[in-house]
Amino acid sequence: MAAAESPSAALRRDLCSRGIRLAGKMRADVVDLLDAYVEQQGLDASASVAAVEGVPLAAVERWDEQTGTQRLLENLAAYRAFRALLAQMLEEQREQLGEADAGLGRALAAVLLQVSAFAYHLEELLRLESREIPGEEEEEEEDGPPPLPRLSLFEQKLRGLGVLRELAQWAVRSVRDLRQLAKPSPAASTAPGLAESP
Amino acid sequence: DSHVQYERVGADVTMKCGSMDWDAAVTWTANGTDIDESHLNGSYLILKSVDLSQSGQYSCYEGSSWHLKYQTYLRVGTPPKEPVLMCRSNNYPKGFYCSWHLPTPTYIPNSFNISVIHGTKDMVCEKDAIPKNRCHIRYLQLFSTVKYKVTLTVTNPLGKNFTTLTFDEFAIVKPDPPESVVAKPVPNNPRRLEVSWQNPSSWPDPESFPLKFFLRYRPLILDQWQHVELSDGTSHTITDAYAGKEYIIQVAAKDNDIGTWSDWSVAVHATPWTEEPKHLTTEAQVAETTSASTSSFMAPPTTKICDKGAMVGSGAMAVCWTAGLVMAAYSVLFI
Repeated sequence: MAAAESPSAALRRDLCSRGIRLAGKMRADVVDLLDAYVEQQGLDASASVAAVEGVPLAAVERWDEQTGTQRLLENLAAYRAFRALLAQMLEEQREQLGEADAGLGRALAAVLLQVSAFAYHLEELLRLESREIPGEEEEEEEDGPPPLPRLSLFEQKLRGLGVLRELAQWAVRSVRDLRQLAKPSPAASTAPGLAESP
Repeated sequence: DSHVQYERVGADVTMKCGSMDWDAAVTWTANGTDIDESHLNGSYLILKSVDLSQSGQYSCYEGSSWHLKYQTYLRVGTPPKEPVLMCRSNNYPKGFYCSWHLPTPTYIPNSFNISVIHGTKDMVCEKDAIPKNRCHIRYLQLFSTVKYKVTLTVTNPLGKNFTTLTFDEFAIVKPDPPESVVAKPVPNNPRRLEVSWQNPSSWPDPESFPLKFFLRYRPLILDQWQHVELSDGTSHTITDAYAGKEYIIQVAAKDNDIGTWSDWSVAVHATPWTEEPKHLTTEAQVAETTSASTSSFMAPPTTKICDKGAMVGSGAMAVCWTAGLVMAAYSVLFI
């Protein structure tokens, strides 16, 4: 059963393992950031935040039936969106900056860096699957472009809460997705993606 | 005409004898036993401040003809208190179950109704046949930040009550404890114990949703537990056991990323390997013990050659030594 692994299968497994570690670290940092954010912004941690436009929802139906490529593409789209959202939050944070928020700004920047790194990592995995990396312009074809109309301070804070919560969910989902991808099974990817054996 | 009548503990109950007039002559019985007239007001039966022992069949007979005029089954009980509800996912990511019970009995039949809402969506919680007070739900979505709201309403003829639980998908994940925990001594290692276990069988996909484990152990003679957290694998070797002491060992499990720890597994006991005195009685048996990992090789009775009684002059030493050499040769063959 344990036939010799092809180099690309080994690389894929390695990339998945590293991605899992990245996502795990990212999640831990996002959870810490969420706690700090709630406290510093004076929010109620249990407040329900309605789905915010432009924030990718981690919730998915029939997750177990997704192909490897679907997983990678959805993850990539999500983290690209988070990259833009976090950048915006950081900018808003700097505008409101007080001494107390400097730490929050740094934590936001650190998470933004990890999100960017993870997005890049996903692109690597897609390349390995011989998949075309979708251009980022596709994400901006919606009516509401990422730079949304000016929100009130309170609305900004609520949106920030929504962004970080979804990001924390995504980090968990990404770990699961990568574990599925790492499985040495033909069902882990679409047929064209199995271009491993020469 | 027979029917059931429910009354609260402590209530005053008045029973009419069907359509009989108030001044009719009647006899009341409780479970076949005549009731004293002091409890009657005309033909009405008056039961003051009823208690549970007064539940039973009450019958009213016309005085002279002994025709049965009325019969009722009195059930004394209480309205339900707020039920206790618990929801848990021990089979993530398949779904979760909710189970409930009443904190105190009502002594009369209760019916339970459970509703589950996820955001704006109503979900059906399918009732389990066994146990009765339990239902399960399949997850339609995973990784949702939208909370689940579960409302349990309990109703009986004397009243109703309800409770609500709100939680998110990750918070209720709690695996069952690990199974088949085994602890064994390690031969020739007086401070080691080898512990192994299996994933709980209710956890559907440990490959995609790996569990991590928490091991705790202590010698029976001490109260303080030692703890070890293990991020993978289903075995661990304890290397700091006190020699010769019996240990109690338990394992708990948790999803690697979300939820809470399981309850502790069934406890197992083990004592590290000790060097038994009988292992040192003869050179031959020492050679055998240190070279063979199983005890299938039994020392032949060559020790008799070295018995005191067998020693004859200086030649006996040479014989003993030869026997030892032969034994060593045999031992090497069995490594």
